[in-house]
Amino acid sequence: MSVEIWCIAEHRGGVLDADTLQLLGAARKLGGTAVAVVCAADPAPLAEQLSTSADKVIALRHEALSDFTPGGYAQAIAPLARERQPGAILMLHSHFLGRDLGPLLASRLETGLISDCTELGWDEGLVGWRLVYRRKLLAKQKAAGAPPHMATCQRGAFMPAEASDSPGEIENLEAAIEADSLGWKVLGFEEAEVGDEDITEAEVIVVGGRGVGDQETFDSMRELTKLLGGALASTRPVVDQGWADRGLQIGSSGKTVRPRLYIGMGVSGAIQHVVGMRESDVIVAVNKDARAPIFEYADYGMVADLKEILQRLVEQLREMRG
Amino acid sequence: MRIAVCMKAVVEPEARIELSAAGELQRSELRYELNEYDLYAVEEAIRANEAHDAEVTVVSLGTEDVVQSLRKGLAMGATNAVHIKTDDDLADSAASAAVLAEALRARQPDLVLAGVESDDLGGSQVGVLLAERLGYNCATMTIGVEIPGPDAKEVKVRRELEGGNYLDIEVALPAVLTIQTGINEPRYPTLKGIMASKRKELVEMTPAELGFGQLPAARVETVELSYPPPRELARMLEGGPDEMVAELLRLLREEEKVL
Repeated sequence: MSVEIWCIAEHRGGVLDADTLQLLGAARKLGGTAVAVVCAADPAPLAEQLSTSADKVIALRHEALSDFTPGGYAQAIAPLARERQPGAILMLHSHFLGRDLGPLLASRLETGLISDCTELGWDEGLVGWRLVYRRKLLAKQKAAGAPPHMATCQRGAFMPAEASDSPGEIENLEAAIEADSLGWKVLGFEEAEVGDEDITEAEVIVVGGRGVGDQETFDSMRELTKLLGGALASTRPVVDQGWADRGLQIGSSGKTVRPRLYIGMGVSGAIQHVVGMRESDVIVAVNKDARAPIFEYADYGMVADLKEILQRLVEQLREMRG
Repeated sequence: MRIAVCMKAVVEPEARIELSAAGELQRSELRYELNEYDLYAVEEAIRANEAHDAEVTVVSLGTEDVVQSLRKGLAMGATNAVHIKTDDDLADSAASAAVLAEALRARQPDLVLAGVESDDLGGSQVGVLLAERLGYNCATMTIGVEIPGPDAKEVKVRRELEGGNYLDIEVALPAVLTIQTGINEPRYPTLKGIMASKRKELVEMTPAELGFGQLPAARVETVELSYPPPRELARMLEGGPDEMVAELLRLLREEEKVL
């Protein structure tokens, strides 16, 4: 039997986050037994769903696991991990669960956690590759100390595990949790605001990044979107500056879009933005920095002043349309 | 109420990063600045200072490169600063958290704020590991904090999830919160603030003074640095703006058929 690799399932409101299957895919790629670990007040439906892709499912049940809390999950998983010593524990580098639970569980297990990995392997223990210094370097990192070593995986970096004909076995366990050590109390969720125009529906999207420089330039891009029959959208820094509403934000903490045509103006191509747009059909990028990472994702690039390009796009499109 | 803000001096985001022939980072060429995420954490703490008369201590771990960031925190309105001096950057999150925890333990802050992650290494672990060391509660990805009053026993926190969703939680103090950009609009230090900061206390200490005979062992080691494999670059359009735009429109219309 190969070494067990535990993949912590991410779910909210009874719905499995499908990217959990990427963890199972990573576990298989590592040559391990892909074990899905699901913590919930009623884990049965999720466990069954996971069993079609996992070699094995561990379902941890407790009333206190009805919502994700870092303390609740850590209390459920840590004692079992100490007892069974899996070869590695993986989770998504997610906002919802991974960022809180990853370091907490690593601390309780006195082990190393490699964050935000895009590739994993073995070298006398778990090793992970991750991009650092704004993706200018690739670091190979190794978890020190005794296993189980841990890693969080970047969304989209691993192929999801394929469903198998023979579902994995489900092991049901009752977790022991002290309800006063959960870390926080959940008050509620607020779903994303759609805004006046739904950018996820648009076929053409013109996107302003930090490079637009000011509110006026960002607003002036509306003329181009009108001519193209498209929508105006933005990156996170533009929203943080207050130049655009949060509903217009593309990226990991905003919307994911797949337009036929994406035109990025002053967009540098930070990974947080790229994950929300890289599936677009045709990508055009305008940036004054020839080294901007956006050019690695674009089909057509222009190293230029975006205001000059914007003005000429508007002029020439008007001419073209008569 | 006592608030501590952990700050990190990070490699300038626009820096050109070069490796030596031996594959080592050429540090002497690099310049450092305050991690942008931490700037929002400082602002959030200073707002609590204004609303609830909270004492705000900015803390940083590292070489002389961090002093400029601490001074900026003081100029923005922090009460005092602590510089834990090390000879080199501490790249390991667990080691950094262990040292920061000992520096903060004596001060017993009610709330510790830090940026969500560092702009250069981006491990996003120190806040959570620090909380665990101190026995504090912790929440990451904070995009809103409500402190009910100076004697608050808990705070309301809005966490930013992926896809533009939010999670509202209540966290009992003492706690560590990691702060996301966009939670506020960080102020620029005023001339008056800069002048006042020169009279503020900036305490220096060493890990040895905090009880570390040697620095804690790393839990994660970087075994190799390399340049990422190059990706296929875009077809770069040439010429002046008029020619580039004309060529782009032709390509989009005739070849891509998206116009």
